[in-house]
Amino acid sequence: MSEYVVEMKDIIKTFGQVQAVKNGQFNLRKGEIHSLIGENGAGKSTMMKLLYGMYPINSGEIIIKGERMGEITPMMAIERGIGMVHQEFMLVSELTVLENIILGFEPRKGLRLDLDKARADVRKYIEEYQMDVQLDKRISQISVGEAQRVEIIKTLMRGADVIILDEPTAVLTPQEAERLFEILENLKSSGKSIVFISHKLNEVMQISDRISVMRQGQYMGTVNKSETSPLDLTKRMIGREVFLNIEKDYGKVGEKILDVQDVWVSSNKETSKIRGMSLSVRAGEIVGVAGIDGNGQSELVEAITGLRKVEKGKVIVCGKDVTNKSVKVIRGAGMAHIPEDRNRMGLDRAMSIRDNLVTVRVDEAPFSKHGILQLSAQDAYSEQMVKEFDIRPTDYHLPTSSLSGGNAQKVVVAREVSMKKQLLIASQPTRGVDIGAIEQIRNTLEKAKKEGSGVLLVSAELEEIISLSDRIIVIHEGKITGEMMASEANENNLGLLMMGGAKGGAEHA
Amino acid sequence: MSFFSIMSKVLNLSLIYASFRAATPIIYAALCASVTQQANILNIGTEGIMLIGAFTAVTVSYFTGSWILGVLCAMLAGVVIALIMAVGHIKFGADICGIGMGINMLALAITKFLLKAIYDVNGAFSSPQIKVIPKVSIPFLDNVPVIGTLLNNWSLTEWFAIILIIVLQFFIFKTVWGLRLRAVGQFPEAAKTAGIKVNAVKYRAMAISGLIGGLAGAHLSLGYSSQFIENMTSSRGFMGVAAMYFGGANPVKASIGCLLFGFADSIGARLQAYGLPSQFVLMMPYIVTIVVLAISMAAQLRSAKRRQSSLN
Amino acid sequence: MKSVKDGIVRILLTMVLALLIGAVLILAIGENPISAYRALLKGAFVGKLSLGTTLASFTPLLLTSMAFVVAAQAGAFNVGVEGEVFLGGITAAYIGYQWDFLPAPLLMIACFAGAMVVTALWAFIPAWLKAYYNVSEVCTTILMNSVALYITSYLVSGPMSAGSANPQSPPVLVKLKQFMRPSSVNVGIFLAIAVVLLVIFMLYRTSMGYKFRLVGTNPAFADFTGINSKHVFIKAMMVSGMIGGIAGTIEVLGVYGYFLNNFATGLGSNGMLAALIVKSNVVATPFMAFFLAVLKSGAMGMQQATGVPKGLVDTITAVFIIIATMETLFDFLKRRKSDETKIELKDFGVSASSANSAAAGTDGKRPADQKGGKS
Repeated sequence: MSEYVVEMKDIIKTFGQVQAVKNGQFNLRKGEIHSLIGENGAGKSTMMKLLYGMYPINSGEIIIKGERMGEITPMMAIERGIGMVHQEFMLVSELTVLENIILGFEPRKGLRLDLDKARADVRKYIEEYQMDVQLDKRISQISVGEAQRVEIIKTLMRGADVIILDEPTAVLTPQEAERLFEILENLKSSGKSIVFISHKLNEVMQISDRISVMRQGQYMGTVNKSETSPLDLTKRMIGREVFLNIEKDYGKVGEKILDVQDVWVSSNKETSKIRGMSLSVRAGEIVGVAGIDGNGQSELVEAITGLRKVEKGKVIVCGKDVTNKSVKVIRGAGMAHIPEDRNRMGLDRAMSIRDNLVTVRVDEAPFSKHGILQLSAQDAYSEQMVKEFDIRPTDYHLPTSSLSGGNAQKVVVAREVSMKKQLLIASQPTRGVDIGAIEQIRNTLEKAKKEGSGVLLVSAELEEIISLSDRIIVIHEGKITGEMMASEANENNLGLLMMGGAKGGAEHA
Repeated sequence: MSFFSIMSKVLNLSLIYASFRAATPIIYAALCASVTQQANILNIGTEGIMLIGAFTAVTVSYFTGSWILGVLCAMLAGVVIALIMAVGHIKFGADICGIGMGINMLALAITKFLLKAIYDVNGAFSSPQIKVIPKVSIPFLDNVPVIGTLLNNWSLTEWFAIILIIVLQFFIFKTVWGLRLRAVGQFPEAAKTAGIKVNAVKYRAMAISGLIGGLAGAHLSLGYSSQFIENMTSSRGFMGVAAMYFGGANPVKASIGCLLFGFADSIGARLQAYGLPSQFVLMMPYIVTIVVLAISMAAQLRSAKRRQSSLN
Repeated sequence: MKSVKDGIVRILLTMVLALLIGAVLILAIGENPISAYRALLKGAFVGKLSLGTTLASFTPLLLTSMAFVVAAQAGAFNVGVEGEVFLGGITAAYIGYQWDFLPAPLLMIACFAGAMVVTALWAFIPAWLKAYYNVSEVCTTILMNSVALYITSYLVSGPMSAGSANPQSPPVLVKLKQFMRPSSVNVGIFLAIAVVLLVIFMLYRTSMGYKFRLVGTNPAFADFTGINSKHVFIKAMMVSGMIGGIAGTIEVLGVYGYFLNNFATGLGSNGMLAALIVKSNVVATPFMAFFLAVLKSGAMGMQQATGVPKGLVDTITAVFIIIATMETLFDFLKRRKSDETKIELKDFGVSASSANSAAAGTDGKRPADQKGGKS
């Protein structure tokens, strides 16, 4: 038997036309923490899902504990001691923590579930690794960090000694992340092997023994932590040292375009409820909103844009009080909006590019007259947009479902920006799009600002916030924890505020 | 006659049994719909499953002279129909509302067709040779005043409905099968990663739903009445689905909803004696169903809103 | 267009399969399927009466199927068309014999207008409950059909009774001209065709139709762009109801000349079937409505000429719809390879979007939302 518990060699995986993994290599030693890093879409999650048997591989070789695997199903992977904590938790929110943990491996007593035995079993793990969880709470009642511990216990209960964590810190506060790292150290010292998928270099440098890098589906090498640096890893991940730095031009700032006054907003999650938030955006500036995902960014944007009820407070757009007005009224007051989830909100994937470009103004001339669509005017406009925003393919009769992520986002940006509204709300405008499109979309935002619009930019990418914004607002659990000019901002001071300005964990940010 | 004297005649002890009796077919239907709803399948075909069950029960009972065989065959027929839906929906991607309505049409058409083909009658078939589900009479209860009126001479399937509610409640919330069923319904990906065969769970839920739906039909034609009438379910299956919504697919809560419909039904029937037009009596349960459904959904929305509010 | 050809092939295959199953049933009762089907065709087309009857039963089906389609375009599953036919009919009958102060042409218009108002309001109820309280419109419309039936039945046996043995209303004062006697086909058929053309134009060439389609495919996006999906949904249901009302009015003014108790039973559900078989495709639905009308009117001829009861035709139709809903049933005809890619692509799409929503805090994708929702 080789020194590796898991070996993956020359993996190729395609989804339709897309080659998600071109040349995947990975191996894992017993008792190590091995990080797998790369940008969004680099193929790192796909690699691990292949190992876990969620899709079949096209070619290549997977060896688990010396056994060459012909075909893998999740069940086979579980039987061979592989456990995976998915990015989106695989927890049933209306079941209790205990029920979730035993799901699929339930102890029984006659016909009944044997919850007493289950409880005793789970307790062992809780004590051994100090992972306190409340067994009788429903998943919907516990925090994200706790839900993650539930996921880890689930894998342990199934006898996992290889644990894969897919971007585990993306949804955690720094304190919770710190707790997670302690647990991972405990697991490691008891002999478990851990795969840590991430694109956050500081975390990777803190916790890993070895680090493998992927870029655009390609394996870019494996290094020991002691022999590398964040700079070296960045080069491997991205292929160049720094990227997408837009020449910033602190233009003349005009009057208030957006004024949010002590706004309170509901949410299904406790930490996303907005409880008293005030901010403003002026003409000719980009205001960045930084924060860990799920701290109320989405709710704030929805409240401003008329998609969510404001329970208290006021929203003023271009001098007009639009609190709890309809989206139509708010857009009429001068607002355009690039949404965070383009597939759900930004596009109708069943309809054509043209239909998607005209949606907001379908009732207005020249796109319709007396309620009758003016298709030639719509065609002319679509022709122009496809050219101006470099949307490919150029046939605007195609449904938007046939577009790549980047081109689909260009349709959204074209529709919203071409209206030249005074206020532009951009929520995660570059999420899940390729680098070329990122550059173009960022330039478009810059241009809108130069032409005198006020832009509110919400992004989970600190680098994006720092490089684009003039002013930065940091939020944490639905409250503003800090505000500064972009020139004063860096990952450290923003990171500190993103965890609510708490002291602990600052040195790791 | 004054309003109060009418009311005192209408609202008497036997009303309780009458309500329950009117509710039992709907209770079975609601249970049939609840089982699949737990697996996130809206069983709009409940009505059709029931109707075919009702026809099968009468036919088998008529030809074999055995109500037991009638009931069993009805349940089997229910399973067959439910599995046709299941295969169409799960394997061949049929829209559940579409195929469910198709099943309902099929049930209506094929029972009508067979009524003509087998018995050469239109509309209804009854015969003294149809053996019905026996009533349970407990002699000593005859002498007990209140309980005697209330509990004696129930049909066997009326008693069984109560047992079934409890059994299903137990299975859904206390057993491995139920836990997996709920997990599949609420978050199939999670169930899949836990190693559960999601489709197998769904097929099983549909099959059980078919058993219950077939029994619902048998109860309707051999317990509740003793004949088969074209479209005799008359939307009871849909009322069951509505009750399922009302109870959030929880057997006990859904059954409480059914009792409400049964109550509306039997109150109406009594008021008819005092000049209420029969059409109003007939439409009463439907209206009550809609109103109750609307109120329960509105209440659910309200409580969600309150939970999500930032002001508390 | 490739997809159109695929669609036609699928429908034909489905039709053949349904007729085969029907043939098995006919054999089972000891009759000859070929002569039964021949008698069916003869009963639908040969002779003035037969052809006229086919066209007469086509008229309401054309409208009711279109009513279902309009609602479906906006994402509503309107089973309530049948009730709307009843209520449209009773309103037309009431106005038709009561408002004798109006000259005939105006009275005719009043009948249609009245029916459309009543049915639009009737359809508003389930639409509003769905839009604002998430009450399944499938459930409510089914239940409301029974209510509509009993309301009309009460009216014609009580306050609006003609006093005859059959529960029916007094005769109306205006009628749509019948032109192929002795069949009951009347000029209403041209009106129905005009309505259908208008609906198609509305759906594809007006901003209202655009909004219907938008809300039907992605209501969240509609709301995002400032188009109120709830309002659009309600509007679509009301338009759907109005078309049902027109169907009822044509039946009362053109076929019977009065409101006959129970007259619309099956009209709404058959129209819905026609639409469901072709997945509410606007262009294909009228053809399917015609096909069902042929089956329906031919069934009588078949029953008379052979020993096959006409109930069989409904059975075949139901089998037809069940097979037609199974989207992927005939996928084995395509190459396996392409099939596989499709599934994988889907997986990929799911995983990509779930990654997004996970990063966004998985809000709004809580499994609790899935329950009781539209499946």
